[in-house]
Amino acid sequence: MTGEISYPDATQLAVPFFIAAILGEFLWIALKKRGGRYETRDAVTSLIMGAGSVAEGLLLGFVAWTLFMFLWQLTPLDMGTSVWALLACFVLDDLRYYWVHRFGHRVRWVWASHVNHHSSQHYNLTTALRQTWTGTFTFMMVVKAPMVLLGFHPALVLFCGGLNLIYQFWIHTEAVSRLPRWFEAVMNTPSHHRAHHGRNPRYLDCNYAGVFIIWDKMFGTFVPEQDHDRPDYGLVHNIATFNPLRVAFHEWIGIFKDMAQPGLTLKQRLLYAFAPPGYSHDGSRDTSAGIKAAHLARHPEDAGTPGFGG
Amino acid sequence: MPLELLLALVAGGISGIAVLLHLTGRSRQRILGAGNARSAWLRHFPEDSVFKVLPAASGQAALVLTNGGPGLLWTFGADTVGRHLAAEQVHETATGLRFDFNDFAAPGLSLRLPERERQQWLALINTPAEAV
Repeated sequence: MTGEISYPDATQLAVPFFIAAILGEFLWIALKKRGGRYETRDAVTSLIMGAGSVAEGLLLGFVAWTLFMFLWQLTPLDMGTSVWALLACFVLDDLRYYWVHRFGHRVRWVWASHVNHHSSQHYNLTTALRQTWTGTFTFMMVVKAPMVLLGFHPALVLFCGGLNLIYQFWIHTEAVSRLPRWFEAVMNTPSHHRAHHGRNPRYLDCNYAGVFIIWDKMFGTFVPEQDHDRPDYGLVHNIATFNPLRVAFHEWIGIFKDMAQPGLTLKQRLLYAFAPPGYSHDGSRDTSAGIKAAHLARHPEDAGTPGFGG
Repeated sequence: MPLELLLALVAGGISGIAVLLHLTGRSRQRILGAGNARSAWLRHFPEDSVFKVLPAASGQAALVLTNGGPGLLWTFGADTVGRHLAAEQVHETATGLRFDFNDFAAPGLSLRLPERERQQWLALINTPAEAV
């Protein structure tokens, strides 16, 4: 197909809103003395990661764009630019997001890019902006390819991706407890996403949704936030740096150091790159499955509860 | 959005938020004592059994002796981070101890420790876990 279509860069246009919302959340926490925590260096690191992520998009966005425009030339389909096309594209893109996000937690190569988003021990609106600088290198843009081949223009696909990220901004807060039941049932909410950011064994590898939580319910990865087991934010092995370069690249360095160990088979080297995070050839580390099993060994009473097979 | 405006918004936004947080006391370091250091360690390493916790007089760090060997817990902004220690990762300096973790996500740490505290920590770090 051919045709010139353009949409605004929604993420860039939202920057003033992001800043205003962060100030609003901070003031609310400061006045109410509840609803979250802020720490200067943590917040600044998150904001610099966000700025760097926008810069990476400006510098390397052409890679995905070139691929999508190539596919757009191939496809005989054209869904157009109607409101219905936009809605269909938005929903499909959210399904796409669910799977890319799930790969981001289950494939170390993709986790290396996504890990920085989980690297803060805080959970506030700045955490939402702690975004990757290395997304292009995961090649996860290929998951958008079927949408272009289905006839959604690349500009529309990218526009919907931007709207998806903007939706996810406001759910990174402890200031909102729970929303009406019908909303919690269908939409991703602060409560569902707090669970996703929890490093507690219960919450590892759950709630991958972007906008609609129904994907997690459909694919068996939904775990509701538990009042008796509040999410503890951060990584299983927390990083000890506020340096944005170290935050952005630490897992990539870890992959290459692991792959370069002497005496490994080719399969073991590849597993260090593509197996779930926590894989080790000698069993010296734990994957999320191992962490959950170890927790159940210490707390058998949790078996069958949400996050532990319940 | 013009790139100049985007840059101004981003730079101004980050700077403004940083100044606001600092001026409202959000840059304060956490202080570690024996009780909160123990619970912080178990938060990082829930499978460990903690035998002994020695907070540094400065409150910036604590030596934690566990069934898996010694570990170092230190303040990280309002929070903490911890790493298990091997003797070869610890070096004595003129003013305290230097820890090198060979970990890109945990660059080395230099701690100021008075002579007595430094020698006590070194002795415990070099003591096998089963002898603690």
